[in-house]
Amino acid sequence: MSTSTATGVPVAASPESKTRRRKLNTSGGRAPYLFIAPFYVLYGLFMIVPVLAAVYLSLTEWVGLGSPRFIGVTNYVNLVQDTSFGTALVNSLIYTLIAVFIVVPCSLLVAQALNAKGLKARDLFRVAFFIPMVLSPIVIALIYSLIFDTDYGLLNSALKALFGLPNTDWLGDPTLAKLAIGFVLLWRTVGYLTIFFLAALQAVSPEQYEAASLDGAGPIRKFFSVTLPEIRPVTSFVVVTSFISAAQLFDEPYLLTKGGPGEATLSVAMFIYRAAFERQQFGYAAAAGVVLFVIVFGVSQILNRALAIGRTS
Amino acid sequence: MTPSPPTRRDLFRWGAAAGGTVALGALLSACSTGPGSTAVTSGAADLSFWTHDDGYVKFFTEALPTADAATKYQYALDITKIAAADIPTKLIAQAVANTGTPDVVGLEIGAFARTLRGDIAKELLVDLSPSIADYKDDLIGARLTPFSKEGKLYALDSDTPLCVYYYRPDQFKKLGIPDDLATWEEYEAAFAKLNPSKGVSMHAVATNDPGGAVQSYQIMLLQRGGDLWDVDGNLTIETPEAEETLAFIAKGVQSGAIATVADMYGPSLQSGLKSSSIVGVDMPSWYASYGIKPNVPEQKGTWKVRKLPVFAGGGRTTSVGGGTGFAAIRNKPLSQAGVDLVLSTYLNADQQVKRYRDLGYLPTLRSVFDDPRLSAISDPYFDGQRLFGVYKDVIDDVPSQHQSADTAILQTVLSGYLLQAYKGQLTAKQALSAAADDFRGQARA
Repeated sequence: MSTSTATGVPVAASPESKTRRRKLNTSGGRAPYLFIAPFYVLYGLFMIVPVLAAVYLSLTEWVGLGSPRFIGVTNYVNLVQDTSFGTALVNSLIYTLIAVFIVVPCSLLVAQALNAKGLKARDLFRVAFFIPMVLSPIVIALIYSLIFDTDYGLLNSALKALFGLPNTDWLGDPTLAKLAIGFVLLWRTVGYLTIFFLAALQAVSPEQYEAASLDGAGPIRKFFSVTLPEIRPVTSFVVVTSFISAAQLFDEPYLLTKGGPGEATLSVAMFIYRAAFERQQFGYAAAAGVVLFVIVFGVSQILNRALAIGRTS
Repeated sequence: MTPSPPTRRDLFRWGAAAGGTVALGALLSACSTGPGSTAVTSGAADLSFWTHDDGYVKFFTEALPTADAATKYQYALDITKIAAADIPTKLIAQAVANTGTPDVVGLEIGAFARTLRGDIAKELLVDLSPSIADYKDDLIGARLTPFSKEGKLYALDSDTPLCVYYYRPDQFKKLGIPDDLATWEEYEAAFAKLNPSKGVSMHAVATNDPGGAVQSYQIMLLQRGGDLWDVDGNLTIETPEAEETLAFIAKGVQSGAIATVADMYGPSLQSGLKSSSIVGVDMPSWYASYGIKPNVPEQKGTWKVRKLPVFAGGGRTTSVGGGTGFAAIRNKPLSQAGVDLVLSTYLNADQQVKRYRDLGYLPTLRSVFDDPRLSAISDPYFDGQRLFGVYKDVIDDVPSQHQSADTAILQTVLSGYLLQAYKGQLTAKQALSAAADDFRGQARA
C-alpha cells in the first residue's frame, strides 16, 4: 500500500500509520451500516422471512395446526387446474384495467379541473373528492349495498321514477357486479390520486403554458404537449401504485358481494383469504400468494422500465 | 490483504440468514401443540372465555353461581368478544403459538365447520361424548350431529333453532289470503296471483351473501327431507329433494311470491318488511330476536308465528338453521373446569328455561319443552302469542343437519348456481349438477 504526497510522488506509509488508518477506515466504514442495520434486521424478520416461509408453506399441505406435510409443487399444479383461481385472476385483471385506464385518467381530469384558474371553493371540492378515501370500507359497503339493491335500492328507484326502467340486479348479475365494484373503486380512490396529480400540476412552470400560447396552442394541445410530459414522473408513479393496489383488491368485492354472485367478483386476494381463513388450506393459499407476488412484481418491474420511473429524462 | 467493510448486500444476507433460521425454526417448532400442564381438579377456575355474542356473555356470567354449586370449581370468566367468523382463525393461531388459547369457546355452526378440516377438532377440542352420556336420551339428537365428527361430540349446542313461519295476519287479511293454508305450493300460487298487482311476497331468500343464500335454500331443503351433506360429509345436492326444493324456490322468485334480498338482516330485508311488501319470513326461532324485532320494532303486535306450511311432495313440518356450540379446549390446566362449566349450565332445565327467556334460544333437552314455565310465556311483539305452543308442536320432527369441512367451498359454488336457477338461466337440475361438478373440482385442491 502507498500514499501520495502533494506533488503526487508515492511514498511508503509506516506500519503504525497503516494500522491506525485501517482502524479508522474500518470503524468509519461500518458505522453507517450499523446505523441502518435495525431497519434491515426488522425488514429481514418481518418481510424476507415471511416471504421465505410462505414459499416453503406453498410446497406443503397444512390446515393451520400440526405439522405441514411436504407435497412438492402439487399446490401449484392444483392452482393451474382450479377454475376458481382462473376466475380470480381474470377478475383481478379487470380491476387493474379499471384502475389504470379509468381511475387514473379520471383522477387526472379531476385534478386538472381543480387546478383551473379562478375556481371558487377549490378547497371544498378537494375535501369532497378526498372524503371517500378516509371513509371506512364498511361504511362504503353499507351505503352502496343500499344504493345497488335490486328491489329496494336507491339507484333502481331513481331509474324507475325517472325513466320507468325495470329493476336491475346490480350486484346479482356477474357483469354488472364487476362494473359496480369498479365504480366503487373509482369513487373511493379518485380523490386520493387527484392529490398527487394536483401537486404535479401545480409544479408545472406557467412559462411553458405562456410559451405554448404564444405558439398558438389551444387548451387541448397544451394539455397533451405541456401538461402530460411535465407530469410524467408522477403519472408513472400513480399508474404503478394503482396497478399494485388494484391487483391486491380485497375490500370492495369482499364487503359488497363476498366475491359473488358465485365467484363473479372474486379477486385473487379474496381467493387467498378464502383458502386460508375459510377453508383452512394454508399451503394452497400460500401458493396462490406466491403466484400473485410473482405476477405483481413482474408487471411492476415491466411498468417501471416502460415508464422509466426513477430515471431522469 | 485488508478485509473490506461489509457491503449492504453482505449485511442483508447475514440478517436474512440469521432471521430466517430463527423464525423458521420457531415457526416449525410451534406447529405442534405442546403437552398439557397439570390439570386443576377443583377450586378457583379463572376461565378464558371467547364468544361472539353479548347474549352468551350475560348468560354465562349470570350462570356462574349455578356452576359453582354444581361443580368442584369456583368460576370467574375472563371474557373476550370476537366476531364469529374470526374465532376459529384466532383459536388456531393461538394454538400454533402454544399460548393464549381460551378455556371455553363458543363456535357458531358455520365457524365450527372449519374445525372439521384435518385433525383440528381432535387436536383442539375436548371430546364431550363421555360427559353427556347420561343425557344422551334427553338431548335432541339432531343438535348433536352438526357439532360431531367421527362419532365424537366437540361442542354443545346452545339452541334447537327450529324454523317457523313468521307472518303478518293483518296483511294476509287485507290481501284476502288465508293464513292457515297447508302447503307451500298453495301459498306460492296465492302470492304469485297477487304479486303483479300488489307487489307482495310470502317470504324472502338471500342472494348476495353466499352463506345466507345457501342457508335460505338449506332451510327449505331440510324441511323437504334433503340435506347438503350426508352423515359422512359427502355432498348430497344431486337428489330429487334438492332438485324439487330449488325448482320450487325458483318458481316462487320468478312469480314474485318469494322476494330476493341481499341478506336476511340488512337494509334490503328491512325495506321489504317496513313497506309490507314482504309479509312473512321462513326462518329459525332465534330470528325473532335477531331479524324481525330489531328491523321493524314499530310493527309490534302485528306479527304472528305458525308452523311452516309443508311441501306437497312430503318432508317435515319444520327445519333448522344456525346454532352455536360451546366447547372446551384440550390439554389445558382448566380443560375439565371448562367442560364442567358448559355441562352444568347447559344441561340444566332451569338454565335452559332462563336461556329461552333471556335470549330466545330453545332448549336442547327434549324434556324441557314440556316445562309449564315455557308454555306460559307470551310474547307481546307477537300479539301476546304463546310461541312455545308452536315450537312444542314440531320439536319431534326437527331434522338433523350434517356438516363438512368443505362447507365453505360449497357455499361459494352453490350460491352462484342458486342465483342462476332463481333467474331461470338454468333449470334446478342443471344448477345443482354444475354446482356439484365445481365443488368436486375445488374440493380436490
